[in-house]
Amino acid sequence: MSWSFRGSDMFSALNIKIGFYLALRQIRRASPWTTSLIIFVMILTFLNLVVVSGILVGLIQGSIDQVRTKYTSDVIVSTLNDKAYIENSPNIIALIKSMPEVQAISPRYRESGSLEANYKTRKDTDKPNTAPGQVAGIDPKEENSVTGIANDIVEGSFLEEGDYDQVLLGHYLLKQYVPIETPAFSTLNNVGIGTKIRLKVGDVTREVTVKGIIKSKVDEIALRTFMLDTQFRSMIGRTDGNVSEIAIKLKPGEDPVAVRDSLKRSGVDRYAKVQTYEDAQPKFLQDIVATFNMLGNAFSSIGLVVASITIFIVIFINALTRRKYIGILKGIGIDGKAIEMSYVFQSVFYALFGSAIGLFLVYGFLVPAFAAHPIDFPFSDGILVAPPDQTFFRVGLLVIATLVAGYIPAWMIIRKNTLDSILGRN
Amino acid sequence: MIQTKNLTRTFKNGDVVTEVLKGIDFAARDGEFVSIMGRSGAGKSTLLYQLSLLDDPTSGELIIDGHEAHSMTPDEKMQFRLVKFGYVFQDYALLPELTALENVALPLLMQGKGKREAYKISQEALTRAGLGKRLGNLSSQLSGGEQQRVAIVRAIAHRPKVLFADEPTANLDNESSKVIMDIFLELHREGQTIIMVTHEQPYAKLADRIVHLDDGKIVSTTGNTK
Repeated sequence: MSWSFRGSDMFSALNIKIGFYLALRQIRRASPWTTSLIIFVMILTFLNLVVVSGILVGLIQGSIDQVRTKYTSDVIVSTLNDKAYIENSPNIIALIKSMPEVQAISPRYRESGSLEANYKTRKDTDKPNTAPGQVAGIDPKEENSVTGIANDIVEGSFLEEGDYDQVLLGHYLLKQYVPIETPAFSTLNNVGIGTKIRLKVGDVTREVTVKGIIKSKVDEIALRTFMLDTQFRSMIGRTDGNVSEIAIKLKPGEDPVAVRDSLKRSGVDRYAKVQTYEDAQPKFLQDIVATFNMLGNAFSSIGLVVASITIFIVIFINALTRRKYIGILKGIGIDGKAIEMSYVFQSVFYALFGSAIGLFLVYGFLVPAFAAHPIDFPFSDGILVAPPDQTFFRVGLLVIATLVAGYIPAWMIIRKNTLDSILGRN
Repeated sequence: MIQTKNLTRTFKNGDVVTEVLKGIDFAARDGEFVSIMGRSGAGKSTLLYQLSLLDDPTSGELIIDGHEAHSMTPDEKMQFRLVKFGYVFQDYALLPELTALENVALPLLMQGKGKREAYKISQEALTRAGLGKRLGNLSSQLSGGEQQRVAIVRAIAHRPKVLFADEPTANLDNESSKVIMDIFLELHREGQTIIMVTHEQPYAKLADRIVHLDDGKIVSTTGNTK
């Protein structure tokens, strides 16, 4: 009788083939309710992994996106810290406009100022109704082509050429929009469209009419007063065309970093700070994103452990109830490692199937739904941030966790004595 | 040829030691049909498990075709069971999630045969056993007799050197039992070595030889009683 022993390796082609053969049939002929329940748990785990941290980060990302869209745009050129404005602005503006990557720009004048209402009716004993804030002089067409803030007008209308002594107010300047009373945050009371208010910038005071109210979650917009740049220049006495900041919107697909570097190479950084929208983000926002990411990962880890335990229990019970058949399989010569592979395949199937449905839900439904209907937080429109690379990394984590959670109980049952398994002995 | 020399099997449960096999000297020639009989607890199933490498003896020697089986590693025994042995269990032991065809094909696939070849062999074998129309049925969709026939086909489809059967008719009615024994006899006529444990005298008598066990020892051997 000729006979030679062939060594057994878990990842041999034969064991993988037999493991897959068994797993496929076990899954196909398992109770649909059980399979559905396990996959449902996997979907929930996947959503927990991706959505929880995605929403946490999305709260801040929504804020960052809004600052980019409504204020800085893709690249922002702003006054150096030790200067009052950007020197040589006309040449810089001409240079920027000549760049092929640039779609639109909005040069802005900006100064600190204050607003006063009820000055006509106020008695000497009354407290003045004032609010501080930045005042910006803009070209309405250019500003709107960059930031589209005309769409954020909630009362009245946007500025137009020839709007003499008319202003737009950010909603944080008005009490009806911010009904809080703190000494550090004063707002204007009883001011609406058509109300005349006093605008003071430096030593110059002018009576202006409120033409529109802008509602924005970007502080730089919500706390600002906007007026025509031509009007504002005359107020601050600036005739040299030097502005305070220039927001630059790039054509789709253009790289802000490349444009920033190009401007710096052209020497613009000698006169102004040149930053991409990311450079201009306050560091605390980046810190919050990192912190929320960490928190999200912590919550996700709990979900991952729960999923692993679920799979462990499911596979353990499955293997335990099938112990006799596992014994028979080993008895008729089926390699224990092939049987282990069959459980690994089943676990991976549950994880992949659950993740696939989860991916569909996230990218086919949740991300578009959050984009269309962001969560309305006071400081941002919360979106769901789910970068594909991070999502697939989490799918990988889920698969590995389930694979291990499926393998361990299978290994525990399969390593038991073959005959004991067949006979149901402990 | 399968041979044992002074084979013992002892079970320990705490301080209680039970000696189930007490120095068995047994031999079965190639092509021989041997029945093992005895009352409950005599050790007949335990002996079958030793012979078929499903269990390890406590002491003694087990030699199969010149190979010292008692000193094989678990993986070597597994490979030996796959290639050289076939098993028919009392309760059929078909895998519930596999069809009749898949149950038979599985050991063939494990031996490295391609799916097409394994299925072809299995289909032919099942058809010969009168199960040609039951290929796609799960075990739950087969009668007891049909399940046992599938189990026999699974055990012999790869043409094993030895077919072991542990009370193969215990759960069957008379008619089904007769069909099963007819299959065994036909296999035996074709030269198949069969070692069968049974407590049913009429079926035991169909074998070339009956080995009687009592209290872990072979007490008698009767031959050619057919």
